[in-house]
Amino acid sequence: MDCEFVPSVCSYCGTGCGVLFEVIDGRINRTLPLKSHPVNQGKLCIKGWNLHEYINSYMRLKGPLVRENGRLEKATWDEAVNQAARRFTRIKEEHGPDSIGVLVSAKITNEENYLAQKFTRAVIGTNNVDHCARL
Amino acid sequence: MDMVKAAKELLLQDKVDIFLGYRKLDGHQIPHGFTKAHVDDLDQLEISLNRYPLEKIACDLAQKDPALKIGILARDCSQRALNLLYTWDQLNPENIETLTVNCCPSPLSTHGDCSYLTPKPTGDYKKAHGVDYNDSPKDFLANHDSGERLSRWMYEFQKCIKCYGCRNVCPVCFCKECSLEHPNLVEPGVLPAEVPIFHLIRATHMAGRCIDCGLCEDACPAHIPLRMLYREVNDAVSDIFGYVPGDHIEKSPFSIIGKTVELTPAPMDV
Repeated sequence: MDCEFVPSVCSYCGTGCGVLFEVIDGRINRTLPLKSHPVNQGKLCIKGWNLHEYINSYMRLKGPLVRENGRLEKATWDEAVNQAARRFTRIKEEHGPDSIGVLVSAKITNEENYLAQKFTRAVIGTNNVDHCARL
Repeated sequence: MDMVKAAKELLLQDKVDIFLGYRKLDGHQIPHGFTKAHVDDLDQLEISLNRYPLEKIACDLAQKDPALKIGILARDCSQRALNLLYTWDQLNPENIETLTVNCCPSPLSTHGDCSYLTPKPTGDYKKAHGVDYNDSPKDFLANHDSGERLSRWMYEFQKCIKCYGCRNVCPVCFCKECSLEHPNLVEPGVLPAEVPIFHLIRATHMAGRCIDCGLCEDACPAHIPLRMLYREVNDAVSDIFGYVPGDHIEKSPFSIIGKTVELTPAPMDV
C-alpha cells in the first residue's frame, strides 16, 4: 500500500490556504491543513477540510462538453475551443464586441487573470471584464 | 542517524509494510508513508516540529487493509492516541510498531522535539474576557463563579466558524456517525454554530477519550482554548473513575455497551 502527502493550495476561494492531501494508492482520501503554510497557519474552513470530496465526486467534469442540438456531447479540447472561437467571432461580427462580457475568477492565478483581461480587451475588443471577487 | 537506521530495519526486516514519519517536501515538513520499495527515502526522515495526526492516518490505512503492518514515528501524545485506539478496536496493536522519539523535556531527556514546549501566549483581551490557554481547569473553577465561567466560555464559543476542524484533526475521533452531524442536535447548514451546544456535545464526547495532544486547538481558526475545555471534562473522569485516557491499554469506563448501569442524579455545579 502506498501513502503519500501532497501539499497544494485550496481551490475554493482566493485566500490561497495551504492544504495537504492524503493520497492512498493514488486516490485522495483526506485533506489536512498545511501547518507550515504562511497564509492559513494550520487552519482551514469547512470547505477546505472537505476539498477531497469534490475531487473524487462522480459528477466532476473531466473533459469539455459541446452543446449540439440542445444536448451536451463529449468533445475533444480542439473541437470545443474551435467551436467557442467560431461562435464568439460570429457574435462579435453580428452584434459588436460589447455584446460579450468576461467574468474571471479568484480560483485561477494572477497570471491567468491577467491573460483573461488581455484577451478580453485586445482580442475581443471590449472593456466588459470583471472579477468574481467584486460580485 | 539511529532513527533512520531503526526505521530502515523495520522495513527491510518486513516488520512493517509502511512507515509513517515526516520528510521535507517543497520546504514543508509533512508526513510521508515510507515503503520498502523506496527505502532510501528514509534518509530524508525528520522529526517534524509540525505535528500531524499520524495515528489517524494509520487508521485510514488500516481501514483499507486491516492486515497492513504499520510503523509510526511516535511522540508521547501519539503513544497515548495509539493506546486509546487499541482499546476502542480501531487499530490492532499486533500490527503497529512504534519508533519513539523525544517529546517534552524531562529529567530523563533534556532535549525535546515538540512544538508545545513553550506555553501558548494569551492576549490581554482574551485574559480579561475569555479563557486563558494555559489556565488549569481546577484554578479556573476555583477563581470564577458559574456565571462568569459561562460568560467567558460563551465569549470563546461565539467565535466558532463551525469548520469541524477540531473533530476532523482529532486522532481519537473515529465514529462513523458523528453527533455533530446529527440534524436533531446540530442543524446542518446553519451559521453561526449554535453555542454552547455545539461545543458541549464535542466536550462530552471527549470525556474519557481526549488524550490531550492539542491538535484541535492548533487547528482552530477561532483560537478557542479547546485543550483546556477537554482537560476540564477529563478531570471529572479521572477524579470519579481514576481513568486517564491513553495512559495505558485499559478500557474506558464508558465502554458500557451490553451492560446495565444505574446513574444516580447529582447536582451539576459541585
